[in-house]
Amino acid sequence: MPTINLRGAQKNYGVNSANAVSDLDLEIRDGEFMCLLGPSGCGKTTTLRMIAGLENLSGGEIRVGDRIIDSVADGIFVPPEKREMGLVFQSYALWPHLTIERNTDFGLRLRKLPKAEREARVERVMQALDIAKYRDRYPSQLSGGQQQRVALARMLAVNPGVLLLDEPLSNLDARLRLEMRAELKRLHTEFKTTIVFVTHDQWEAMTLATTIAVMNEGTLQQMGTPNDIYDRPANRFVAEFVGSPPINILTFGKPGDSDVADKAEAYFAARYPQLRGIDSIGMRPEAMGYAARLEDVPQGSFFGEMTVTGVLPTGGSWILELRSASHTLFLTTHALPRVDSGEHVFFHIPPEALHAFDAGGQRITEADAVLRSNTYN
Amino acid sequence: MALLSESTKTKVQAPKPMATPSAWQAWRYRSKVALREPTTLVGILTALIFTYLILVPIISIVFDAVRVQFGHERRLRQDVGDFTLYYIDRAFFSPVAHDLFWRPLLNTLTVALGAIALSLVIGTVLAWLISRTDMFGRRWFATALIVPYMLPAWTFALAWTTLFKNRTIGGQPGWFEAMGLTPPDWVAYGRFPITIILALHYTPFVILLFGSALRRFDSQLEDSARILGARRYQVAVQVILPLMRPALLSSMVLIFAKCLGEFGVPYVLGLPVKFEVLSTSLFRSIASRQTGVAGVVAASIMLIGIITLLIDARLVREARRFVTIGSKGSMNRQNRLGRMRLPATGFAAAIFILSVGMPLLTLALSTVMKMPAKFTFDNFTLDYWIGTDLHTVALQTGILLSPELWAAARNTMMIVGLASLTSGILGLLVGYVVIRTPVRALSVYLRQITFLPYLVPGIAFAAAYLSLFAVPRGPMPALYGTVTILVLALIADQMPYASRAGISAMTQLGKDPEEAAQIAGAGWFRRMILIVIPIQKGSLVTGVLLPFISGIKGLSLFVILAVPSTDVLTTYSLRLVDYHYTQAANAVVLIIAAIAYFGTLLAQKLTRTNLAEGLGS
Repeated sequence: MPTINLRGAQKNYGVNSANAVSDLDLEIRDGEFMCLLGPSGCGKTTTLRMIAGLENLSGGEIRVGDRIIDSVADGIFVPPEKREMGLVFQSYALWPHLTIERNTDFGLRLRKLPKAEREARVERVMQALDIAKYRDRYPSQLSGGQQQRVALARMLAVNPGVLLLDEPLSNLDARLRLEMRAELKRLHTEFKTTIVFVTHDQWEAMTLATTIAVMNEGTLQQMGTPNDIYDRPANRFVAEFVGSPPINILTFGKPGDSDVADKAEAYFAARYPQLRGIDSIGMRPEAMGYAARLEDVPQGSFFGEMTVTGVLPTGGSWILELRSASHTLFLTTHALPRVDSGEHVFFHIPPEALHAFDAGGQRITEADAVLRSNTYN
Repeated sequence: MALLSESTKTKVQAPKPMATPSAWQAWRYRSKVALREPTTLVGILTALIFTYLILVPIISIVFDAVRVQFGHERRLRQDVGDFTLYYIDRAFFSPVAHDLFWRPLLNTLTVALGAIALSLVIGTVLAWLISRTDMFGRRWFATALIVPYMLPAWTFALAWTTLFKNRTIGGQPGWFEAMGLTPPDWVAYGRFPITIILALHYTPFVILLFGSALRRFDSQLEDSARILGARRYQVAVQVILPLMRPALLSSMVLIFAKCLGEFGVPYVLGLPVKFEVLSTSLFRSIASRQTGVAGVVAASIMLIGIITLLIDARLVREARRFVTIGSKGSMNRQNRLGRMRLPATGFAAAIFILSVGMPLLTLALSTVMKMPAKFTFDNFTLDYWIGTDLHTVALQTGILLSPELWAAARNTMMIVGLASLTSGILGLLVGYVVIRTPVRALSVYLRQITFLPYLVPGIAFAAAYLSLFAVPRGPMPALYGTVTILVLALIADQMPYASRAGISAMTQLGKDPEEAAQIAGAGWFRRMILIVIPIQKGSLVTGVLLPFISGIKGLSLFVILAVPSTDVLTTYSLRLVDYHYTQAANAVVLIIAAIAYFGTLLAQKLTRTNLAEGLGS
């Protein structure tokens, strides 16, 4: 399917209600696996439903290639049944009165394909998703994971130009979710379909997507590869939403009130006087290290002395909770911690791992190069 | 960087549309989306039909109340149709107002309040016994005690007269009279029996509503209070009762609204001692062609009904705040009754005997006995059912052999059947439109207009139909005396239940299955035929069956709109009562009760639901 383009897409559900989606520009290219990521109520599902045609727009337009399929200004609306897309619902929405086979076959029958071809295609997807043995059962006789596969098979059977997935894994247990994730990745390669995937689970987005679009309060916050999103968050929202435990934020400009932040401000003033307008900095827990003695803190890194108030094992790694008079920071370590609650430690972080944000919460991109080039001089 | 430059390129190709379109553009787009599918069109059509079938009759009767009626031109020195306050004055302020309106109103209110008080006391105790204790046979009682609600209320009125009728009125004497114990008038007729019978008939309301609230009650709430040191009675007073209040208030209001429109019971038991309630007063005004006054009384009944149910709507909304989502805590925990176990069971059994056993048994026995209360073998006969060549003026065969019964039964089946089928289908359509149409105003209007008849007691609604369709208006010929007017009135009267059933079925179905079909490429008609109707088969059946049952036992609509040629079972039996063919009347009522009872059971079986859910929603 050609590139899908949302431009200025807008949705509000009532005259006086806030926009569910406002002025959204989004480009989904052929073969992409795009994740729409954001907290609940951020407009990601609405966006998906707008693409499918299940929600009409309040403004803006949607194009597929050069063809406008939805536009308020031009009065164009291609109904969902003519958009040739596939959508897997969060609830799976299997038709309870049809068998698994008939569920899978439904779209093909509507397209009036010859019987032999229908059978072949149904067989292929049922094999691919390992549900052929349930063909004569009804949806209520299947487990959640099996229903999920049927919902996928039903859509893949018609070979849609784009497959839209609305939090399809959220109703599965942890183990099944992992399996289905791998399955989805495999299907993406096997069927070469464009996939748009809605999730609030950052881990899911990170592992699956080729591109992630982070949304909040109806607006697009950042679009990029998973690494981009994680390593170079465009603003504080993205920085804080992605990552677990969440990124540590130190806000400048409240002298006296904020010991560690004061120290950070002084660190920047001394080493990078050319950087202006920094309002806050972010430190990923994974990027931080700690040392029991000041001598062990690496040269040139930003550091601070804090008290350990908690050592939380997460199986394979540990989260240290550090406190000062006014701050609580989290730090992740993969080696067995040699410290205990109540002890003083020095956390440290190399300058290239610091994220600088301005007063509006936007990333100060000029700072990236500066922080990287100035390492250890 | 490549990413960025490419997306800039596409932006150059076509200018980005403005985020907020002009009002005209937005309107054009919205109407295009709305009219793309027949949903909106179907919605507009049904809205028009219901405006004509529901709203126009109501407006018409209100106009009747303030316009000079035929025959009063001279006295009022105005032309027919002119505006006048004469009828309002007559009904509310004239010397006859006391008889026309105020005493019936007072009687209605006292009877309703008495019935509410009595049924609340009995109902809450029974509901608690059934749902939260280890009383013997609680499962059996759970169904058995609901039976009075499945039977027409005036079944009990007839049973009462069979037992207590005294020499005040003619015809076959009651059993007590026949045994030489003349019951006083206050026991035989009027306020006392009417109150008792309505209370017993509406006790199931309390059992169902209060009982389901009790069952949904999360016992973790109770446990928390107990753990914090509250005693049992403290838990009951401070935790359970406050949370049950909405359910209690709601059942009170519903009973009140039902009592307001109740016609059969006061007609059978009130008339002999001229004990009038609003519905019988209205009936008398219509029967004596006092159209204007009838309009005033009908409008007053509607107004009281609407106010009552608006209060109920508020209470239900309030109740939502109290909905405690049933988790694993909402298990059905039982209290041990201990020594009280047997007396409690006895109480439930006594209520069952009083409200179901005795009345039905009395009626059944009365139809096979020649002389009342004479329990000798030679006094029993099946003549009233299947006899031939009886020595009576009319009805010389047993009721089952009487052509009138079968004509009435045929009429009932045809009229009620046709109306139920139509309203069931319309109900599903309304449900579909209400849930699916993108035009919000249409959805709201349809939901409210189809609910309107619920606010209007049947007798007032029938009066409204009479007012509108008794004379030819525009292209509509005069419909009085035809089957059509009955069918139309029944459809309108049943729409609240039918549309509620449709709406709740569509809500439960959710959008997903249909949207999935849409995504798969199915247009509107295909989705209807392949997805919506097959999935909704069950609720369509209920949507037809439940109105059918209530139509079968319905009396107030027919009593005003039916004529002898369109007799249905209920009016036929009422006519038999009027002629004092007690045995035959009782037999017909038993037939109706049997149809209503087994129909309800069938409906419950088919849908695997119970009445409580239908009532609660």
